[in-house]
Amino acid sequence: GDSWGIFTFLCAALCNLPALPALNCSEELGAGQSIQQTYDLTRYLEHQLRTLAGTYLNYLGPPFNEPDFNPPRLARAERVPSATVDLDLWRGLTDNARLAANYRAYSRLLCYLRVLDGQVGTAELRHRLAHFCASLQGLVLSIGGVMSSLGYPLPAGPAGPPAGPPGAPAAPNDFLKKMDDFWLLKELQTWLWRSAKDFNRLKKKVPPAVVTLRLEARGF
Amino acid sequence: MWKNSSLRCLLALAVLCLRSLMYSQEIGSPGDPQNLKCVTHNLHKMLCTWDVSSRGKHGQTDFCYTTNDLTPQVCFKTKERRVEIPIPESSITVTIKSSGTAFATREFVIHQKDISFVPVTPHILSLMPDFPTSTLNLKWSDNGSVFPYGLDALWQIQILRKEAMEVVKQVSYYSKLTHEDVILSWNWTSDMPLECTSHYVKIRCYINATQFVGPKDWSDWSPAEVIPGKDTEPGGSGVFPLDPVVAVGSDLMFCCVHEEDQRITNMTYGSKSYTMMQLSRRSHAIRVLNASVSNTSGTNVVCRLENGLEGSVVFVGYAPDSPQNLSCETPNFLIIKCTWEPGRPSGLYGERRTKYSLFERTSGKNVSCEVNEVSRDHVCGFPVLPDQKTYDFILGVSNPIGQAQSSLLVDITQRVHPKAPEKLTVTGSNSTSIQLRWFINGSFAETRLLCQIEISSSHSERKLHNVSIPGRKSSTYTAQLNALHPDTKYQLRVRCSSADHFWRWSDWSRGVEQTTSEAPPARGPDIWRERSPSGESLIVFWKPLSLSETHGKIVSHEVSCYMLERLLERKVVSEPSNSTEIKLGKSDCVISVVARNHAGSSPPSRITSVELPSDNVTTDQAVAMGNGINISWDSYPNMTCGYIVKWCHSSGSEPCSVDWQKFPSNTTNAVIKSALFKPGVRYNFSLYGCKSMGYQLLKNITGYMKELPPKTAPNFIVEETSSDSILVKWEDIPIEECRGFLKGYLLSFAKGEKDALKPRLSESGNPELKVNNITDLTKKSMKILDLQGKTSYQLELQAYTAGGLSPPNSLYVVTKEDSVGLIIAILIPVAVVVLLGVLASIFCYRKREWIKETFYPEIPNPENSKALQFQRNICEGNKTLKTLEMNPCTPNSVEVVETQSTAPKIEDTEMMSPAAETIVPEDGSDSEMENHVVVSYCPPIIEEEISNPPTDQPGGSSQVVYIDIQSMYQPQIKPEEEPEIDLVTTAGYKPQMQLSINALKIEGHSPVEEELDKTAGYRPQANTNTWNMGTPDSPGSVESNNENASFGSPCSINSRQFLLPPKDDEDSPKPINTGWSFTHFFQNKPND
Repeated sequence: GDSWGIFTFLCAALCNLPALPALNCSEELGAGQSIQQTYDLTRYLEHQLRTLAGTYLNYLGPPFNEPDFNPPRLARAERVPSATVDLDLWRGLTDNARLAANYRAYSRLLCYLRVLDGQVGTAELRHRLAHFCASLQGLVLSIGGVMSSLGYPLPAGPAGPPAGPPGAPAAPNDFLKKMDDFWLLKELQTWLWRSAKDFNRLKKKVPPAVVTLRLEARGF
Repeated sequence: MWKNSSLRCLLALAVLCLRSLMYSQEIGSPGDPQNLKCVTHNLHKMLCTWDVSSRGKHGQTDFCYTTNDLTPQVCFKTKERRVEIPIPESSITVTIKSSGTAFATREFVIHQKDISFVPVTPHILSLMPDFPTSTLNLKWSDNGSVFPYGLDALWQIQILRKEAMEVVKQVSYYSKLTHEDVILSWNWTSDMPLECTSHYVKIRCYINATQFVGPKDWSDWSPAEVIPGKDTEPGGSGVFPLDPVVAVGSDLMFCCVHEEDQRITNMTYGSKSYTMMQLSRRSHAIRVLNASVSNTSGTNVVCRLENGLEGSVVFVGYAPDSPQNLSCETPNFLIIKCTWEPGRPSGLYGERRTKYSLFERTSGKNVSCEVNEVSRDHVCGFPVLPDQKTYDFILGVSNPIGQAQSSLLVDITQRVHPKAPEKLTVTGSNSTSIQLRWFINGSFAETRLLCQIEISSSHSERKLHNVSIPGRKSSTYTAQLNALHPDTKYQLRVRCSSADHFWRWSDWSRGVEQTTSEAPPARGPDIWRERSPSGESLIVFWKPLSLSETHGKIVSHEVSCYMLERLLERKVVSEPSNSTEIKLGKSDCVISVVARNHAGSSPPSRITSVELPSDNVTTDQAVAMGNGINISWDSYPNMTCGYIVKWCHSSGSEPCSVDWQKFPSNTTNAVIKSALFKPGVRYNFSLYGCKSMGYQLLKNITGYMKELPPKTAPNFIVEETSSDSILVKWEDIPIEECRGFLKGYLLSFAKGEKDALKPRLSESGNPELKVNNITDLTKKSMKILDLQGKTSYQLELQAYTAGGLSPPNSLYVVTKEDSVGLIIAILIPVAVVVLLGVLASIFCYRKREWIKETFYPEIPNPENSKALQFQRNICEGNKTLKTLEMNPCTPNSVEVVETQSTAPKIEDTEMMSPAAETIVPEDGSDSEMENHVVVSYCPPIIEEEISNPPTDQPGGSSQVVYIDIQSMYQPQIKPEEEPEIDLVTTAGYKPQMQLSINALKIEGHSPVEEELDKTAGYRPQANTNTWNMGTPDSPGSVESNNENASFGSPCSINSRQFLLPPKDDEDSPKPINTGWSFTHFFQNKPND
């Protein structure tokens, strides 16, 4: 399970390294393959987050770890990019717009996650969060790779590893901080769930035959 | 001032009393000023007020007063009804002239005791809340400048809460007035967070002016200062206190402030819901008693509203313990490392965790310590300061709940704990020494280092070698190890400490290995020589050198033979052999043996080959005592160069390997030990004495490491047996099977038959067992006497040593017969019988008359005997009995005679048979065996009986004619079937021919066919009527015509009885033709 996931992540990260805009050699890798890898990474992150969220919510203590806990979303929690856009509306967007939204969202979520990591009281949880952050960083890069391979420009904004949490002030008290953490995890879960659907749809749209075609061309 | 005039005061008081009595009459007149009251706030001046009637309220008043008669009256006009005048020393006379409608003048005398003292209402300067700690800070001025110095002031402070201003606390505060305005301050910590609801504070005071004689009273309450709660703020909401940090065991109060239109659902602390109390319309509170340690992220206090959620996080932990076992040391004179044990965990994490700082008092330097959360190492580094040896450290520990500290004064020159030496290398070595070099990082220039080198090798114990080296600054250090063994692999490692003040060893450095080079063997080998049995050659033996003596790998031994310094022979014997043979002939020489390794040769070992003759060499026995075989000998004074004990180890079939041991000449005994000695094996030791001329055999010793029982039983045979003795002979046991010194034999015997299951004699517990112990080992036979003749004896022979008994060897011997006894045993009974016979004869002869009388009386006449009469009767009935006579029944040949009348009659017979056939198979089985009688015909009887044959009978003779009776298989018929037959047959007796053959077909045949078959069966030979006529004698002829069947009937061979029933059977209702059915039954059986 875990080792397989790490392997997938490493593969995905490595495969997508050439797709980085800095290297600008996205032509080398087929878009279909890179979408598949991004999809795999998303599924892995979904799985990883499920265990991490359980541990983290236990760390936050009751009532955060209660299954039916569903606090109203405070206004300040809006700083976490929300995935609760109407599904029809979301589907109506172009691939480029959706990919860009994903890219932006994960870049921001990653920032918050890093802040979270710095505040956690137990070393073990910190370690797990750091591991998840690294995986999520891989996903951001991977989405960038997909966008490049499809010929879309990378969205402006926090690209790559962000320096710190943007804009919004830190929570004024510990309880609100915990609420932020709760929402962060919840949004992450929704985003990952939706991203997996997005990439699956995209995968069907873009045939993975690019590599095969090129090989054939080479052969002749 | 008051005190000086105390006497005058008393007098004045007395006068005033009298005067007031006089004026009191005036008070109370209508329209006049009344109720003059004077109050002082500061003991200097007093404020006097009075009442006037309604008429004079708006007019001006002339107010005059005089303190005593001497001072002039002071007057002034006032529109108010209050004046401030100085407090008189004793009394004051006041004249108030009101200028109302009527000029009413009134004079009052005011004494000091009439003046009441009420301090000025205090003024709250500030009331500051500290929300995180729920503390109020109240500041006010004591207004002391107006009062004389040293008065006691008592303050009363009231805390009120909620909108209803419930008093929650009233405290008294004491202060001393110092004739100065002092700002007093008072703190109060609320059990309820200040945000929860509004808090109010009021204050009043009382000054205890003891000299003041008038009534004293509390001041008025100051106006209430308020700290408004969050529930008064528009939009203020939340759970309070926000994120507090409290100690374990505290009682906590949390309140939830919400909007007025929101309804509160519940409040939880952790996962537990608490009952709420209402503080205001917008505020509810819960109380948590004895809080326990919160979890890592803090305990959540959540207030659930109808459409919202508020919360706070509380951190409950412990104040830090004082650090235990604070210890500081320097690893390198660059940094001081202090370690400690933190004690109980505080239960607080993140920014609220316990923080440590190290403060050095001498230098005033402070460093904060980063504690590794994962490894839980509590270490703090402090830089070594130049020119400072002694450090006075204070380790401060703090967290939001509390703080503690621990101190240590340390001289770091005495607390040197270097790090493990690095880069340990061997810089050189030879066969006995190794040079080492290592590096220690640190500034040890001012101390000496003590380093310990651990030396270990595979064949020596771990050794420690200490070296003291002057310290240097981050430098390498060297040391040389001497007196090592050549050709030895050493493992080396180093650790160091301070030599001046030992504190702690450093950790061991990484180990290095070094093998010293080889050196020539330390000594020549231990040697011995022996002449070969032929005496032509000499075998030289040597023992291998011990590992510590070889100094390298021994490659060969050089054996030389010198005669008078002239080399006769030299041989190089390569390893691993440890002996060689030198052809010497009968001559002698001096043997020299040298061991060689790659580095060189050992000093030679020498021995002479001369063997001195010896006489009367004895052989002793020796058994091991403890772990070796003890050999002792007499002192031989002429053995100048000691003794040698030589022995031989044999292992299996190989020739034994020679071993020896040398002893100095003053010894007379030795314990020979060898790991190769085995129990139960005989070893032969030879003791040689050493003389300058050569070696002389002194004594032989045989010994055992341990004696065991003999391995096998001695073989023995029975040489001869007689009727009362057995001579037994046995053989010696081979020495290797003795396994000890043979002590004797046990010969046991007892009566016993040879039986494989029998236990051994010795184990059987046979009471007749006899045991002979033969201790004379030269004896090889024994005669067992006093045995019984012709008896089986079991013999068992066992040999024994000190180790025990051998297994037994058994024999069974039968002793010979005793012939004389047998003869006697036969003769005596014969003689007795003869004698008895003779005696009986004589007796009978003598008493013959008496015997005759008794046993043979005279016989009476047989004619008179009744028995004979009876015989006659029998003879009379002889005629009837004649039929009972048994005659042999012989089947005869019968000739076939044709009879006309038989054929139609036969058909009748056949009519019956089907019925009979159906009956028999069902119930005939019971009678099957008993009725199955072989019937045959008896011609002699018939011939006799039918003496007069009827005339109408065909043939007319007495001969009964049968149709081919030879073909008749077996005349099977029953006696019972006869009557039936005579009813149906008319044609006389019919042979039973073809019965067996045709009966098989019966079932399948039609009745007609059956009839034909049945005609061939057994039939009565004649009409019964004819029989009746011709046999008047027969009993049946008289009584019945129909049934006279017994006559002329066939008789059974078996019974010799008539098979037909006698005549008294006539009353049987109907004859049954069972005979046929039986036949059919039996014949048909196979077809079934």
